[in-house]
Amino acid sequence: MTQHSQRSGINRRQLIKGLGAASLLPLVGGVTPFAIGGQHAGKVVVVGGGFGGATAAKYLKRANPAIEVILVEPAETFYTCPFSNLHLGGLRSMDEIAHGYDELQDRYGVRVIHARAEDVDAAAHKVTLSTGSELDYDRLLLSPGIDIRWNALEGYDEAAAEKAPHAWKAGSQTEKLRAQLEAMEDGGTFVMVAPENPFRCPPGPYERASLVANYLAQYKPKSKVLILDAKDNFSKQGLFMEGWEQLYGDRIEWVGLSNDGRVTRVDAERLEVETEFGTVHKADVLNVIPPQKAGWIAERAGVTDDSGWVPVKPETFESQQVEDIYVIGDATVAAPMPKSGFCANAQAKVVAAAIAASLESRPAPEAYWTNTCYSLVGPEYGISVAGVYRVVDGAIAEVEGSGGVSPTGAPSATRALEAQYAVGWYNAICQDTWGTQT
Amino acid sequence: MHPFRQSRHDASRRRLLRGLTLACAGLGLAGLAMPGFANEPWQRLEAAQSVLGESTPSTEGLTLDLPHVSEDGSAVPLTVSFDGELAEGDYIERIDLFANGNPYPEVATFRLTQLSAKPEISTRVRLNETQQVIAIATSHQGERFATSREVRITVSGCLMRNGNDANDALSNPRVSVPSGLSAGEPAEVRTLINHPMETGLREGDDGETLPRHIVERFSVSIDGDVVFEADLHQAVSANPYLRFFLTPVESGEAEFTWQDDTGETARHVAELELS
Repeated sequence: MTQHSQRSGINRRQLIKGLGAASLLPLVGGVTPFAIGGQHAGKVVVVGGGFGGATAAKYLKRANPAIEVILVEPAETFYTCPFSNLHLGGLRSMDEIAHGYDELQDRYGVRVIHARAEDVDAAAHKVTLSTGSELDYDRLLLSPGIDIRWNALEGYDEAAAEKAPHAWKAGSQTEKLRAQLEAMEDGGTFVMVAPENPFRCPPGPYERASLVANYLAQYKPKSKVLILDAKDNFSKQGLFMEGWEQLYGDRIEWVGLSNDGRVTRVDAERLEVETEFGTVHKADVLNVIPPQKAGWIAERAGVTDDSGWVPVKPETFESQQVEDIYVIGDATVAAPMPKSGFCANAQAKVVAAAIAASLESRPAPEAYWTNTCYSLVGPEYGISVAGVYRVVDGAIAEVEGSGGVSPTGAPSATRALEAQYAVGWYNAICQDTWGTQT
Repeated sequence: MHPFRQSRHDASRRRLLRGLTLACAGLGLAGLAMPGFANEPWQRLEAAQSVLGESTPSTEGLTLDLPHVSEDGSAVPLTVSFDGELAEGDYIERIDLFANGNPYPEVATFRLTQLSAKPEISTRVRLNETQQVIAIATSHQGERFATSREVRITVSGCLMRNGNDANDALSNPRVSVPSGLSAGEPAEVRTLINHPMETGLREGDDGETLPRHIVERFSVSIDGDVVFEADLHQAVSANPYLRFFLTPVESGEAEFTWQDDTGETARHVAELELS
């Protein structure tokens, strides 16, 4: 779309909006949050600049450039969790998973503030930032990702995460775990503790185990990977196990819940973990993927429930608990949609349309979402799962017959193609979210 | 994918049950004018009514802890506990669990004694669909308590499962008993055994319904006296897990026994050493 046609689009929209507001006057009088005539199309504060928040900020501007959009994100450079396992496996530099906010500011006119959102006063419609300043909003959109539930797993606190990194938020934790892996002696054991559901990126732990095994096979061939899992079933399990056997033989050992795989205590100092029935496993490198919850600003905003996650109205992703606050991405209860970057990006587009509609007192358009999760079992061995979702009887449901998983027993050419698609997917979604390509 | 795959026969049985349930619910609505005829989930379930008999249970004190939303209906963690008021010397003697949306609503029955009298039990259950889970507790003196909780079952889009290839027999009994027990202090015990808990509702690769094959009974005795028992049904997940409390008064030998419906048993013995 050219600048010109965009501008005429605005005018048309503003006109319609003006009419809409005018026609509402007899009903709601002066309480419409914006002046008649579209001079104030509304102010939206977006917290979190990941796949959800950055996409939503852009699509809000695309829906109506007159909306004032402020994105609050502490980091100037955002490292993606997708493909951070490639960094761990030595296949990608951190720069190749780094993204910034230039396009949002320069091309879309989003005001980006690099600060932490510290508090929300929902009644006053205000967000307090770590800089001390306050932002008022008509609609608040939280895309806060996850936070770690420190000490939910005995012995795993912030200090322990320095010795036994989770690397479940990409950045310094990823680099720390990579450095430990590189420093590990040949013959060592990489122990991964995998959490129970729900958690960010269901196939993530198993892709990580794969790419660590790939690195070990090349550089430390006497080393092993041990996964201690609090679940009996995991994402794309059959495909992962088939790939592990083909590529890595018995290098990867997976111990599930019913074989005493659930870790109940971590000793990060000694790099030891103890399972529910008292087995102690000693690691050379210990990666603990701990229990998680919604990013903590969601708690401050009062939108989480006792599960630690955020229940939302499925049609719009508005909070079920607090008016004018919308929440998307990993922080939400959106199952059967998984906690994935792809879903956050898809939810962002729906929520942008819903917020733009609500600012104009229009009903939100009907929502559909898609998800695809690619995982790399090896650099040239990709697998995927896909789904399409819509609202059925007030709840998100997978559209029957949509999506599916990669076939089992497929030839290596199929796996190699999917590995290429994975890279294509990553480039495309980063382009869509941040306008950057690596 | 559902943790139970029903045969046609069971589906029709279930429709019949549903019909009955609806009919009962209809009666309940018709009877709204009658005081005390609340439409509680346990009143709509025949199996629960058979435990309650004529009594109206108290709704205070009994708690069911399950996730609101579960992404894996084949193993939903459940904890039932009681912290309500009881008469001096009375204790919870029995807890029944039901799942009203399963093909068979019975989940488990636990029998407690004064030596297992801290009423807090965890297990993992199969839930076929979004439904109400019900717990009923009965005290030694006949007090009854009931509670229910709705659980939404949805399989995460990233959680496509492949068939379980669990062992076909009782194997690997595991028991965790804390060391350093004190007399009269409840001690948390965890048990786990490998068993497919085949529901009898699932088809095998050949399209034939796989016969029911479950662990039916679990019991714990201390020096020969039974102190805790559990009757398990198809709704208990594969590889049954139980967490409960023992309150030994003296040192002794605890024997844990699992028995499946072919009569096969597995045993584990642990010394309870009181300090």
